[in-house]
Parts: sequence; C-alpha cells; structure tokens
Amino acid sequence: MWERFLNEMTQATLEIVHSIARFLPRLMVMLAIVVIGWVIAYILKYTLRSILRLAHFDRLSEDAGATQFLKKAALPSSTELLSRFVFWVAWIGFILIGVSVLGIVGVEEHIARFFGFLPRLFAAMFVFFFGLLAASFFSRAALLAAVNADLPSPRLISSTIRTIIIVFSVSVGFEELGLGERTIVVAFSIVFGALMLGLALAFGIGGQDLARRYLERRFMHERREEKEDELSPL
Amino acid sequence: MALPQDALWYKDAIIYQVHVRTFYDSNADGIGDFRGLAQKLDYLQDLGITALWLMPFFPSPLRDDGYDIADYRSVHPSYGTLDDFKVFLEAAHQRRIRVIIEMVLNHTSNQHPWFQESRSSTTNPRRDWYVWSDIDTKYRGTRIIFVDTELSNWAWDPMSKAYYWHRFFSHQPDLNYDNPAVRDEMWSVMKLWLEMGVDAFRLDAVPYLVEREGTNCENLPETHTIIKDFRARLDREFPGRMFLAEANQWPADLRPYFGESDEFHMAFHFPLMPRMFMGLKLEDRKPITEILQQTPSIPEPCQWCLFLRNHDELTLEMVTDMERDYMYDEYARDKGMRLNLGIRRRLAPLLDNDRRRIELMNGMLMSLPGTPILYYGDEIGMGDNVNLGDRNGVRTPMQWDGGWNGGFSAADPESLYSPLMLNPVYGFQAVNVHSQKRFEHSLLSWMKRLIRVRKSLPVFGRGSIEFLYPANHRVLAYIRQLAKDTILVVNNLSSSAQAVELDLRRYKGNILIEMFGRNIFPRIGDLPYLLTMGPYQFYWFRLRRI
Amino acid sequence: MAEETILSDDFLRELINVGEVDILVGVHTYNDASTIGPLVQAIRVGLLKYFPRQRAAIINADGGSKDGTQDLIRAASISDLQHVSRLQALRTLHSISTQYPGGPASGNALRTILAAAELLRASACAVISPDSIIEPEWLERLLRPVTRDNFDLVTPTYRRHKFDGLLIRNLLYPMNRALYSRRVREPYPPDFAFSGRLASHFLSQEVWSQEVGRTGAEMYVTISAIVGDFRLAQSFLGPKSRVEHAPADLVAAIRRSVGTLFWSLEDNFRSWSANSHSEPITTFGPDHELISDPLRVNRKRQYEMFVRGVSELDTVLKAILSPPTLAELQRTATVPEPDFRFPDELWARTVYEFTAAYHKSVISRDHIVQALAPLYRGKAHTFLLENRDSSAEEVESKVEHLCQEFERLKPSLLEMWDGRK
Repeated sequence: MWERFLNEMTQATLEIVHSIARFLPRLMVMLAIVVIGWVIAYILKYTLRSILRLAHFDRLSEDAGATQFLKKAALPSSTELLSRFVFWVAWIGFILIGVSVLGIVGVEEHIARFFGFLPRLFAAMFVFFFGLLAASFFSRAALLAAVNADLPSPRLISSTIRTIIIVFSVSVGFEELGLGERTIVVAFSIVFGALMLGLALAFGIGGQDLARRYLERRFMHERREEKEDELSPL
Repeated sequence: MALPQDALWYKDAIIYQVHVRTFYDSNADGIGDFRGLAQKLDYLQDLGITALWLMPFFPSPLRDDGYDIADYRSVHPSYGTLDDFKVFLEAAHQRRIRVIIEMVLNHTSNQHPWFQESRSSTTNPRRDWYVWSDIDTKYRGTRIIFVDTELSNWAWDPMSKAYYWHRFFSHQPDLNYDNPAVRDEMWSVMKLWLEMGVDAFRLDAVPYLVEREGTNCENLPETHTIIKDFRARLDREFPGRMFLAEANQWPADLRPYFGESDEFHMAFHFPLMPRMFMGLKLEDRKPITEILQQTPSIPEPCQWCLFLRNHDELTLEMVTDMERDYMYDEYARDKGMRLNLGIRRRLAPLLDNDRRRIELMNGMLMSLPGTPILYYGDEIGMGDNVNLGDRNGVRTPMQWDGGWNGGFSAADPESLYSPLMLNPVYGFQAVNVHSQKRFEHSLLSWMKRLIRVRKSLPVFGRGSIEFLYPANHRVLAYIRQLAKDTILVVNNLSSSAQAVELDLRRYKGNILIEMFGRNIFPRIGDLPYLLTMGPYQFYWFRLRRI
Repeated sequence: MAEETILSDDFLRELINVGEVDILVGVHTYNDASTIGPLVQAIRVGLLKYFPRQRAAIINADGGSKDGTQDLIRAASISDLQHVSRLQALRTLHSISTQYPGGPASGNALRTILAAAELLRASACAVISPDSIIEPEWLERLLRPVTRDNFDLVTPTYRRHKFDGLLIRNLLYPMNRALYSRRVREPYPPDFAFSGRLASHFLSQEVWSQEVGRTGAEMYVTISAIVGDFRLAQSFLGPKSRVEHAPADLVAAIRRSVGTLFWSLEDNFRSWSANSHSEPITTFGPDHELISDPLRVNRKRQYEMFVRGVSELDTVLKAILSPPTLAELQRTATVPEPDFRFPDELWARTVYEFTAAYHKSVISRDHIVQALAPLYRGKAHTFLLENRDSSAEEVESKVEHLCQEFERLKPSLLEMWDGRK
C-alpha cells in the first residue's frame, strides 16, 4: 500500500516535474517573445513617430483642428498618440502570440479572433479620428463663412454640420467594427448626412452668390434708405 | 570711244562721287586736277565702279565749293584746261566709266558776267535774267534753306538799288526761268558738254527754279514744265544720256520729278539715308521700312539714287523733330558736328569706325532698290575733320599711301587746298589705299568683293522689292526679284546675335545659296525659315530651285 | 529633373522677337475687355511720350479670358506692319499676350511677367492693374524713379476718397509700417514699378508655388523688397478709380493682403524683429491725398456684423485671443451703435494677438485670417463714424495715431511670438 502510494507519488511527482519540464521552455519562449515583442513594438513606435514628424502630421491635424480637440481631452499630441497606440497594439499582439505558445486550450481561438479583429479596429479608429477632425474643421469653416456672409443662425449651421459629420464617421466606424446591427439607422444617417453635407457645401461654396442675392433682397428696403456706395477695402 | 548702247545703263550703275580737287594732284600745286584724276582711273576701274560723278569744276569764286559758277563753258584753271577734261573723259570712257557732271540751273555766282550785266542797270537786256524786286516782302511763304547763315531770301544790291532773290547764299542770285532766253542759254550750255561726250547731268537744286506769290516757291508746276522741256531736247538730240535730280524733298513730293518718265531719269532718295542710320542706332527696322512704304512707285525707266554719305552734311531736313533730336544725340553729340539741319561727318566716324556696321550699311546700300553712290574715301574708311569750317571736314584729300601728303600731292603740305587727316586713327598713315590693297580682309578689298557680287546680277539694280516682316523687328529682310532671279536679303540691325523666323512658304522647295561664299543653306519647307545671325550680320541669298 | 516651365513655346517665340528691352510694362488680365482698351492706349501713349527712345514692350499675362481681352492688347503694337499714322514712334513697340498656367490669379500673372522681364533683361518694369483708370503720366511717375534714380521698387500713392481703401489705412499700412519699419502708404499696390535687379530677386523666391504667391503676390513684393534691403520709393500717380465691379469680397481681400502679411512674418522674423521704429521712404509728390465727397455708406451694417461676429465666433475667438482682450472686445460689442467706438489700442492689440495665433497655428491658419473679418468691420465702422465730417488733415492725423499705436505695441507681439506671454 505504502509502496503503491510512493509509487503513485513518484509517478505524480515525475509527471509534474515532467510537465513542468515540458512547460518551462514554453514559458521561456513566451517570455522571450514578449521581450522581443516589446523591443519590436518600441522600434515600431519610434519609427512611426519619426515618419509622422517628417510628414508634419502634427501640422496636418492642427490644420484640421485636431490639436484643439486633443488638448481639450488632455491628450498628448496626435503624433505621440498614434505612435503609442501602435506600440501597445503591437506589444499586446506579441504577448498574445507568447500566450498561444503555452498551448492553453481555448485561448488560441480568442487570440485568432483578436488578430482577425485588429485591421478592422485600425480602420475604425482611423475613420473615427479623422471624422472628429473633419467635424471640427468643417463646422468652424461653416461658422466663419456664415458669419462673414451674414447668414442667419451661424451656430446652428455649424453644429448641424459637426453633428452630421460625427454621426457619419461613428456609423462608418461601427460598420467597420462589425457592430452593424442597426444597419438601417446607419444607412439613414449616411443618406441624411450626405444630403445635409451636400446642401451645406452647395450653400457655403457654390451658393455664395445665391446667398448674397438672398441677403440683398432681404435687406433691400434697408438699403434704399441709405443708398449704399460700395467701399473697396483695398 | 563709244560706250555700249544701253539706254538704262544708270539702273545698273555704281556711281563714285568725287571732287576733282580732292583726288590727285598731278602738277604739285596742292590742288587735285583732271590729269591727276585721269591717272587714278585704273584704281576706280579696279574698285568696280561704273560711273563717276564729278562735283562742279567750272570757273568760280569758290565761295560754295564750286556751286557758285562764274562761267558754264570752261574749267576752273586750278583743275586744268578744257583739253585736260576732254582727255580725262576719253580715258574714263575707255575704261567703261561714264561721267556725270554737275549743272547748277537755279543760280549763278554773283561774279558771273550775266549777273554783272543784270545789276549794271535796270534797262540792261540781261536785267530780267535774274529775279529783282524793289521790296523784300515778296514770296514770304518761302523757307530759308541755310538757316545758319542767311536771314532772308532777298539780298539788297547797292549798285542797282534793288533786292535780288536767292534761295541759297546771298552771293548766289537765282536765275529767272520765266525768261525764255535764260532757258535757251542753259540748254546751249548743256549741249556743249553733251557734245563733248558727258553722259549725264546732276541738276542741282531743281525744286527752286520758279517763284510764284502765295506759294512756298518749291516744286511748282512751272518748274516741271521747264524740266520737261530740257528732257525733251535731251531725248531728241542725245538719246542714252541721263538727268539726275538733286531735290531734297519727301518721296511723295519727289515723285512728280520723274513725271511720266519725261522729266528726270533718276533722283536722290534723301529721306532714306538718315533713316538707315537711325534704324541702325535704334536696332529697329521700322524707320527704314516705313520710309520705303511711303515711297511711291516710279515709272519703269526711272531709278532712285541711294547713298550713305556725300559731300554735304548728313541732312536731317526730311525727318521729324523727334527723329532729328535723336539723330543729333546719337550721331553728333558734339555741337561742332552739326551744320544747318544735319551732321557733317563721314561714314566711318559716324559708325564709330566699326567695321561690322560699315559693312552692314554698305550691304544695305548695295541691296536696296536703286543705284548706289559711293563717296570718295568711304571705300577705305576715311575720317573727317570737324575743325574745318562748313562742310570742308568731309572734303579732305584722298589718302593714297603713307608717304608725302598721303600720296595726294608732291607740293608742300602747307600749300594743299586742305589739311590732310593726320590723327592716328583716321590719318593717312593709318588709312590709305596702298596699305589696304595689300590685304584680303581690308575694307577696300571687301568693298571690291561687295561691288563684284552686286554687279553679278541685274536684279539688284532693276528688280522689284518686297519686304518680309519677320516678328523680330531687329531684322530687315526683303526679296529682290527680276525675271527668274530671286534674291533674299536679311540684315541684322542689332549689336547682338538674333534668331529670326522668315515666312518663305511661297518659295517652298527652293534652296538658298549664300552669294559671297556660295554655300548652300537648307531647303525652304512649310515651317518658318529659321536663321540665326551674328551682330550686324547680313546675308544675301540667291534662291534656286534645283 | 526637368524644371517646370511657365512660358509656353509660342510666348517664348514672341519674347525672342521682342528681344532685349529697357522698359517692360506688365498687365495682368482676366476678362477685362470692357476696360482694357483705354488702359493699353494710355500705357502706349505714356511710353511714347515719356520714354520715346527706350526699347519698351507691353506684356500681357492673361488668366484665360474668353472676351477678346488678349486681342485688344495685341492690337496696341506699333510696328511697320500695322502703321498708326497718328502716333509718332521712333521704335517698334511690341504688345504681346500669353495665357499663363495655373488659372486666374494675380500671382501667377506676376510670375509670368517677371519671367518675361528677366528674359528680356528689362531694367525697369511697371505692373498696371487692369482695374486702374490711368493717365499716360502714370508711366513716367512709376518708371522714372527706377530709370533715373535707380530705385528698386516704386509703390504708388493715390488721390483716394477718404473712405476708400479702409483696410489699407486701418490695418495694412499701420501694421506693415510698424513691423517692417518702412512707411509704405500702399503696401498692397495695384500699380507699381520695379528694377530688373528686384525682378530677378522676386523670381528666385520660393513663394510662387504656394498660395501666398498665387494670390498675395503684390503684398509680398513690397515685403520682400523691404526685407531684401532694396531701395524703395513711392510716387504719387493720381486719382484711384473705383471701378464698379462686383461688390468687393472682404474675406478674399483680407486673405490676400493680411494673410500674406501674417505669413511673411514666419521667414522674416530676424528682419522685422530687429527694428523698433519706422522710417519714411523717398516720396515723389504727396504721400497721400484725400477727397471727401459725400458718400452714403451703410455704417450700421458694419456695426451689426461686428457685433454678431463677436458673439457668434465666441469659440473661435477664444482660441485666438487672450482672455482680457476677448473680454474687452465683448464688452465693446455691447455698446449701442451711436456710442460704439473701437479704440485704436484695442484694435492694434487684437491684430497682434491674431498675428501670434497665426504664428502658433492654434487653429487652421486660414480660419484665423477669416475670423479677423468681422472685427475689422467694427474698426471700419469707427473710422467711418469718426471721420464722417473730418477734413483730410484730421483723417491723416487719426491714421498717424493708429500707426503709432501699432508701433508702440510691437514689443508685445515679440513677447507673444516667443511664447513668453
């Protein structure tokens, strides 16, 4: 009995030792992958940051009004933000690869899903980010144009444009992520957004003259009173 | 000696203008003479000229360089005798050189016996050979020509207590051509010389023959009638001889002097000359083409006489005030170079002694429609002496060699009629015939070549002209055409290299042959013909369809 | 790499025919057939009258006119082909025209004219605006200082209505004067002349491919001549015409002029930061002349648009202006129309803060420039109101006061520039 116990014990110990012996290299490999992954991710981050700086990405996002947006959110500059994001995604990817090496049952499937999801995540982030930038830029442009053209309710025009663009970009982002259960709503948003954007652009850019004529007609009685002479600013 | 019978000889002529006094002195008295001139005919023949225009050589007090004639029927003793003249004339004809002499119709010297008789009394039969008046207010619409020296066209004669009319100097009373006796007398003078063998007359100051109240007394119809009369007599008695008109007028006013080919054979084109100089300085062909556009067409047998310089000042009468100011500023900054309304300088100094410009101007002279006249000494690039009065600065002795008196005379230098040019640039030791004959590239040798090429085709003397108007206004280009001969002349008036595109589509298929080097240029196609030209360069091309 | 060419082959061929010139007159056009005829006639008469001996050419850079503008200009040529008997001309005068690439923009046109000037080795060039109604004398007044006195840039001064060119008198002249230290009355010159030396200098600048080079070239010409230490003069031309065009677009005008001025400060910091006071430049004739015919101006509308602008653009202005300045602006905007005044000090401070904001790109630079428009209307309103009954001297003293305000506040701009404030 005792002998059998010892036997079992030895057997179990051996098995544990065996499995530890089998597991330990994998762990080492995993750790190595994680460390190498960190290094690669860091290099990736560094390279991307350099490229973005060279390409004046900050200036681009400034022009788009993104800097303002990021500042409000107390976030670092857009270059920094993007390169950090890439760093983490890359490292997490490596960590997950490392974990899969451990051969834990069930995990691998999730990891595969994570990697399948990654490009779409990127795309969604991209759309969302630039959607925000575009919303801020175009709404301000519309505001200025409306004020300078003396259009009624500039703020309404401005925030309408902002809302439409954000709704549009969010819905496109969600679509990318595959969370498109409310496809109809999204489709509606898209159509509505396109329509309004088109109208806004048409009115803002193409319809300047129309707007001016509309205004002139509106202020005609006022003008008659003063019989305005045209002043040249230059 | 009979010359070839060609009634239109003057159209192909190349005329050399010389004063007997200035050319060569054979008897060491310091003044050139007919024997000397005869000795130098070989030089002129070698140069290639075909006619000699002699300035007045008649007895004269020489107060207007011989244009104040005191005897129409003789030779001034300084220049020799009438027999010397006949010998010279024969020698010239032997060398196929025709001789053109001056005939001053408008006025005589006040020393002329006719005038002496006319002024002697109001009843003298020759009284009305001149234009007399008791008042000096007649013909007030008449301009004064020598504005620098004369105040009025009337001069008071204390002897006969009356005013006499003179268009030029007051010592040159105008003959009265309303008097038939004057006209007959002048014809008999001309006849004398024609019978001797003289080939042509240069008739001086023709627009002023007749005076009429209420006119400017120039170019009057009565004047034309007189000329027609002389011409009819000439054609009847001496066919093949020629009348050349000196009339400093606008081309449109000159046109009547050709009549219906029944007045003058030739006339000087005065307005063209200053404009050639102007075009060169402006680097713009506009002045030249414009004056030629304004030049009316003339009857077939008639011809223009072209010249760059002559014994007078470079006259600026036939230019606008703006143009005259420009010419003065560019060509005669020194006031001493100006005389009356003109510039008294020779060709080489006018062109800064720039060989390229001298060649270009001579090239245009020889290729524009008309008969060219060379002024003596310009073929070797002689200079002028503005310190000599009046126009004597351009009438210094011909420079033959670097020796005693430049080879002009064996007399003492002090006894010459005029000082020689002595400065190191234009003096006779630097510029003379002898040294230039020795070198192929000298101006003299070049002029000989130019004359030879010009004479190779009658198209230059007789052909039509058609201007091409390339958009590059620095380039003057024209087509000369006669029968099958077509010549393209292209002149670059600019001091810098130029590219020019010529529209020659009408001559498509022809090749161009450069006439001096006889080199072939590319065939004319549909595209504008592109030529590149060096500074002041000119081309004469013969168009040939081969 | 083959350099992009701005001269078409046909234009180049025409330039070869024009050849070297002493004087070049450039005219930029875009569908100006209705006014261009008398303009080129006046140029031609001016050249013949005042520069009869000089080699001259008229060069038209056209933005793609469809109304025959180019033919009208070409017809002004004087050559032996088309003889004009009324005119006494010594020389051929070429009047040539080309359509420049890049669409209608005065900068593109100016670049073409400059390129032509350099190729033709013109020693003096004048550029005449197609909107100007000029006298032949203008050619002399513009070009003589270049040809005779060796000035490099001659800007114009005009007889103007006292309410004409308000942007110049309330912003461009004072600010340009304060920053670049030269009292150029018309820093955005419609008509001006320059030397061949300066033409080559302009042409070699990197500005032409940028928006500033396309639309604000006239302003840039003045600034770059000052910065390059060229010899400047201004010359009185005559009355400035007020061509009845479509109502002037204020925002476009501000973009072209003020936008260029703001932009120029970036590269020229070393130059403009060094000087603390301004110097007058050589002036031929009066440096300004004002006429004060009664003019009915809708002042009220200027005020309304200012007030609306201050309230509606709240968010934008917050990004640009410092809190005290914004607060003062907002307070000013509450004053009712008859008592409303936009003080010189506040205006200069506002403009400088805009300048600094532009430098730091706090928001899109174009938006910063646009946001200035409603505020300018407030200043314009005050100017119109204060000078309603003013004489020319009074107007001038007010302009001078504003200039001094701009000069006084210049150090504050320098502080903001460095980020110290």
